[in-house]
Amino acid sequence: MRIVCIIPAFNEEQTISQVVSEAIKHSDQVLVVDDGSQDRTAELSRKAGASVISHILRLGTGGALSTGFKAALEEGFQALVTIDGDGQHDPNEIPTVLNPILKDEADVVIGSRRLKKSGSTPLLKWIGNRALSIATSFASGTKITDSQSGFRAYRREVLEHAIHKAWDYRWASEILLLAAKANFRIKEVPITQIYLHKRHRGTDIKDGFKILYSTIKPPEKPEPSRESKT
Amino acid sequence: MLLLTTRELMRRRMSLLQYASWLVLWLGLILLGTVPQFYITLLHITQALGMLTPIHFVTTFSILILFVATYILGKRIAELNEKVSTIAQHIALRDIGGKTQRSRQQEENPS
Repeated sequence: MRIVCIIPAFNEEQTISQVVSEAIKHSDQVLVVDDGSQDRTAELSRKAGASVISHILRLGTGGALSTGFKAALEEGFQALVTIDGDGQHDPNEIPTVLNPILKDEADVVIGSRRLKKSGSTPLLKWIGNRALSIATSFASGTKITDSQSGFRAYRREVLEHAIHKAWDYRWASEILLLAAKANFRIKEVPITQIYLHKRHRGTDIKDGFKILYSTIKPPEKPEPSRESKT
Repeated sequence: MLLLTTRELMRRRMSLLQYASWLVLWLGLILLGTVPQFYITLLHITQALGMLTPIHFVTTFSILILFVATYILGKRIAELNEKVSTIAQHIALRDIGGKTQRSRQQEENPS
C-alpha cells in the first residue's frame, strides 16, 4: 500500500525540517502544502526530502489539506496520513494511526489526544474541544473524542468519495460527517499530545462557533474529488 | 459628484443599476439645495408616512439601505473569497502537475 504523509504548513520554519525528517521514515512520500508561508518553510521542507505544493496566498488549514488530498489522489496513493507541521504531533506515531487502515479495521482513523493522558490542555481549549467532539459525535452517529485532531489517516476511497469544502478549521468536523454519512468506518487511536505553549494559532472561540454551526448544518453538496469527476 | 458618477459610467466602471441609484441620490440633493420649497412637499409626504420630518424619513431609509448594502457586500466578498481560494488551489495543483509531468518526461528521456 503506497502511503503519503500530508503536512499543511504555514510559517513553520522552526519545526518543519524535523517533522518531515521523522515522517519520511514512515511513509513513501511526504507532501508539504505550504499555505502561503512568508518564511523558509517550503525551502526547508524540500531540503528535508518532502515534495512541496505552494499556495500563492494563505487559504487556511482546510484549504491546504484539500490541495494535499487532491494532489495525493492524483499521484495514486492508497493511504493518506495528515499531521501538523508545528510539531504538536509525534511523527513516530504515524504507524499507530495508520495501523487500523492497513489491517482493514477502519477507513478513517483519528489520532485522539483525549484517549492518552499526556500534557495539560488549557481549560478553554479543553471545553471547546469537548463541545465540538460531542456535537460531531451526535451529528455523525459515531463516538468521537477528538474531532479537531489533525493527526489522521484516510483510506483513498474516503477522499475519492468527497473532500471537505471548508477552507478553515471547519474541515475537521466536515470531513468526518461526510465519511460517516457515506458509512465509512471511523476509528480513534490514542496519540501523545504535545501542547505548544508558545503557539498563538489554532481554533479560537469564533472558529469554535463556526465549526459548531457547520456540524449542526453540514453542507448539502460535498465537493467531489478530482478522481470522481473523471 | 453627478459628473464624476457619469464619468464612471462612461468609462464602464459602473453598472447602469449602480449609476441609477447614485443618480437618484445626487438629483435629490440638487433638488433640495436649489428648490427649498421641495422640502415642504417632502414634509407632507413624510408626515403622511407617519414620520415627523423628512430627516426622520431620510435617516430611517438610509439605515435600511446601509443594512441591505452591508448584506450584499458581505455576500459578494464571501463569493469572491471562495473564487480566489479556488484559483489559488488550482494554480498550486497545476504547478505540481506540471512538475510531475516534466520529471516523468525526464525519466523517460534522460537525454
